[in-house]
Amino acid sequence: MRLKTPREKRILYFKTTLRIFLYGLMIMVGFISMTCGTWTKPIVLVPIAVCIALNADVLVSAFVGAFCGFLIDIACERLFGYNAVLLAVFCAAVSLIYELYLRKRFFNYLWITALVSFLQCRLDYEFYYKMWNYENVERIFHSVTLKVWGYTMISAVVIYVIFALINKLLMPKAHLTIEEVIKTS
Amino acid sequence: MREFLKSTRFKILLAFIAFLVGIMIYAVTKGGYSLSGASFINTVTKPLRFVSNNISMKLEKTVDRIENADAYYEENQELKKQVGELNKQLTDYDDLKTEVEELRKLVVIKEEHPDSVFSQPAEVLGYVANDPFRGFTIDRGSADGIEPYSPVITPEGVVGITIEVSQHTSTVRTILSPDLSVAAVCSDTNTDFGIVEGAVITAENNMTKLTHLTPEHKLKKGSLIVTAGSSGLFPKDYVVGKVKSMGVDPNGLTAYAEIEPAVDITRLSSVFVITDFDGKKEALNAAQDTP
Repeated sequence: MRLKTPREKRILYFKTTLRIFLYGLMIMVGFISMTCGTWTKPIVLVPIAVCIALNADVLVSAFVGAFCGFLIDIACERLFGYNAVLLAVFCAAVSLIYELYLRKRFFNYLWITALVSFLQCRLDYEFYYKMWNYENVERIFHSVTLKVWGYTMISAVVIYVIFALINKLLMPKAHLTIEEVIKTS
Repeated sequence: MREFLKSTRFKILLAFIAFLVGIMIYAVTKGGYSLSGASFINTVTKPLRFVSNNISMKLEKTVDRIENADAYYEENQELKKQVGELNKQLTDYDDLKTEVEELRKLVVIKEEHPDSVFSQPAEVLGYVANDPFRGFTIDRGSADGIEPYSPVITPEGVVGITIEVSQHTSTVRTILSPDLSVAAVCSDTNTDFGIVEGAVITAENNMTKLTHLTPEHKLKKGSLIVTAGSSGLFPKDYVVGKVKSMGVDPNGLTAYAEIEPAVDITRLSSVFVITDFDGKKEALNAAQDTP
């Protein structure tokens, strides 16, 4: 990597701090949106966690996933830690998949989010409703679970745009020296 | 001077002054009404005077603003402060009003149920996200004497029970949930006992179900269902709701009724928690002792 001047370092530090702050703000806004009102709401913290995992290290992704999961547990009144475990695993897996196999494209993000969100919704349905064998329980799957998943996917598009904007403005770009370029090519 | 006094100009001037005095005396006799000439002038000059007066007022105001800017600024700051204080007083007044209303309701319930001990009014903090059975969180917890499985009510009727209690918040499971069973009876007949238990289908319409009725029950549409108080979970005689429709279970041995809760569970803003009531411990202990 090219060596940075003190001024560049300061700018990088400022941008990174601001980016992390904005990520945190997005998480808080997502959490608050999930706790207000009585209508069916998207689980926006899932696409937010996935968006952060796209650009973060595996451990950081797992940590962010766990944090978002805890917030989902509070908002949805689930066993504290249940969603945290799920999202920590999912986000770490997403980060790893992106690191090894996938390019950062919108389509890849969409299908990954669809999969993660569907798994989260399906497991929630299995453990919190189906397992207890309520009469006509499948209606909950159609009227609540699928609806929540659909809303989550719609919100995922908006969240991707916001994160793309934040990353475009504040994500540090990798600068390679001529020697490194020659070496890698 | 003498020449002037003898001149024609002086005589004309005197005549003119006399004319004016004459007009003046005539005007006095009109009893407050304008002379026709004055009235005509007023009418003709009215628009002009209006415009000129506006211009003059604006100019005066501008000059006044420039001259007294500091004084106005200070006055403005003072008034802002006063408005802030008044707004705060208004908010306090609204809070007090709400509290008084809540306490009035509490007094009514207490008079109706002297055997029950109530918590302070609890505000609904929010509904559990995407819960088909409308669970919610309230702003009172163990610090306010609330325990898990305490009945939650409003002046209109039964809402549910607390299922998870922290120091300052509690989560409430509503009577729409299949996980909550409340012994209930029809208040009209006092013989048709059943169990109020939510179901997935009824919860979609914010209704609950009275199950385990005998097929020979005497319920009819509109019958009032109240708590029976036999389980120890809920005190006696709290309104659950009204019968909306009835049917017989597929096994043919028992019947059920769909109940419209007396409380609109989807639009709650505050509730009361019954922290203690007659028969609570005895019934619960008896239930626990039963093998």
